[in-house]
Amino acid sequence: MNEPSPTATDVQVRVVATTEVAEAFFQTRLEVPDTTIRPGQFIQLRPRSEQSIYPFLRIPLSVAAVDVQQQTIDVLYEQVGPKTTALRHLAAGDEVGFLGPLGNHFPTPEPGAVPVLVGGGIGVPPLIYFGTSLRVHGYEPILLVGARSANKHLPDRLLAPAAADVRRASDDGTLGHAGFVTGLLHSALDEPLPSPVVYTCGPHGMMAAVARLCAERDVPCFASLEEYMACGFGVCVGCVVERANKESLPSPYGHYARVCIDGPIFDARQIVW
Amino acid sequence: MTDLRTNFAGIELRNPVLLASGTCGYGDELAPFLDLSRLGGIVTKTITPEPRAGNAPPRIVETAAGMLNSIGLQNPGLKGFIDDKWPYLAALDTKIIVNIAAPTAALHAEMAARLDDVEGIAGIEVNISSPNMKDGGMLFGCSPTASHGVIAAVRAATRRPVIAKLTPNVTDIAAIARAVVDGGADGIAMINTLLGMAVDWRTRKPILGNITGGLSGPAIKPVALALLWKVHQAVDVPIMGLGGITSAEDALEFLVTGATAVQVGTATFVEPGGAADIVAGIESHCAAAGMARIGELVGTLGV
Repeated sequence: MNEPSPTATDVQVRVVATTEVAEAFFQTRLEVPDTTIRPGQFIQLRPRSEQSIYPFLRIPLSVAAVDVQQQTIDVLYEQVGPKTTALRHLAAGDEVGFLGPLGNHFPTPEPGAVPVLVGGGIGVPPLIYFGTSLRVHGYEPILLVGARSANKHLPDRLLAPAAADVRRASDDGTLGHAGFVTGLLHSALDEPLPSPVVYTCGPHGMMAAVARLCAERDVPCFASLEEYMACGFGVCVGCVVERANKESLPSPYGHYARVCIDGPIFDARQIVW
Repeated sequence: MTDLRTNFAGIELRNPVLLASGTCGYGDELAPFLDLSRLGGIVTKTITPEPRAGNAPPRIVETAAGMLNSIGLQNPGLKGFIDDKWPYLAALDTKIIVNIAAPTAALHAEMAARLDDVEGIAGIEVNISSPNMKDGGMLFGCSPTASHGVIAAVRAATRRPVIAKLTPNVTDIAAIARAVVDGGADGIAMINTLLGMAVDWRTRKPILGNITGGLSGPAIKPVALALLWKVHQAVDVPIMGLGGITSAEDALEFLVTGATAVQVGTATFVEPGGAADIVAGIESHCAAAGMARIGELVGTLGV
């Protein structure tokens, strides 16, 4: 699972279908020429024609599932703005600009370790693909999922491939544990798990809490970050995160890491939350 | 076939399309998507005398038909550039223009003098126009006297063509253009970004960590064309036009308005291979119009 990342390509791909999978959450399936994408990598989609200029920038999205036989990938997103609205309304057979795969990928845990995947809201999708891939390689991950409410939770059928053990939390108590997903993580880390490794993706505050908890318990934690992004391949230096170990760096040039190309996956101890 | 070769202030370009500073890094990250030898040249991301960390995030936000940035010149510094970035650039089959910025005229000149020892650099573009630099950039470019001072110092320190990159955030850009030409600029690049801001009314906070940033993208093309038209009438040195170019048609509009060459900027963030498509588009449009040389188009706007 630790082969070098595949080379990114800039192509047009076709939409197979888009379905609503939770309230305002959509799944779009894309037919792609190459499904070589590592779990945790992302893609940049352009849901408009090249001639149009609105919405101007691409939309960075993680990959939730890959079907090598059908040559498709799935992206899951919440409809929140012009780009997700444009993407959601593309019809089967429509073309969309596809740039990817981009960024690094989740590091594979040591053999025998228990991966604990902690997702919040629309940060869950990359953990689905990662969990699915981990199981293929013999791991038995635990998937902890938090959302605002029951209607914002992804359905069981989407999460089932990622883990046999799925635990849910909702802020309003309408599904699973009443409260934040970090409550579930507390409980999970209290169990006698052989070498747990935490992987997290979700809102910044949630990931910061997960990172803090892991640091207290001395559990390794890897976070998939999100920032406002323009290019996605390193040239604009816009999507940065502050590094924690600044004193040890040779120059201020390295104080900020680019989420797109130095990440999106970072060791949680190496960045400033 | 139209001959696209262009002489810009003594720099022999394969064609009049370059990549703008700050949108192509130091070349390496773009190489998987774009054959840089298809272009006239690239302008490096700004380097400063010492390494810079850049501004606190968020540094990017999308706006109507464009985006704001407040990167703040994160760069490896002059020595880091020469040691770590230049070897890759030197091996490319395209013209490399190095963009510099510094807090004083004297430091600009020191940088230009040091770069004079580096073989293969085609020209120096002087960033007197960044809206994200608190100790330089636009501070110089808003004053004819300060602009003149920086450009004259650089001109005296280098044997290479000197290009002044101008800011649109001024009352009278023609006065700045005349000042840099008087200071010895061999060419002008324009425009840098427009000062802009985005606000979240719910949190009552600015979106950018730096509060303000520079606006770029298709939204600024009409501004760039109007200012280009003014400067083209005011000075006789060649001009590189930039500001919102995303297509061959856009580039041709800049050439007609008075640009000898153009730079593609923000468009590369969305279409990393787009600049090569713009070259191909210019070629086919000009061939269809029966032009022998691209220069026939430059500054032919009839008013």
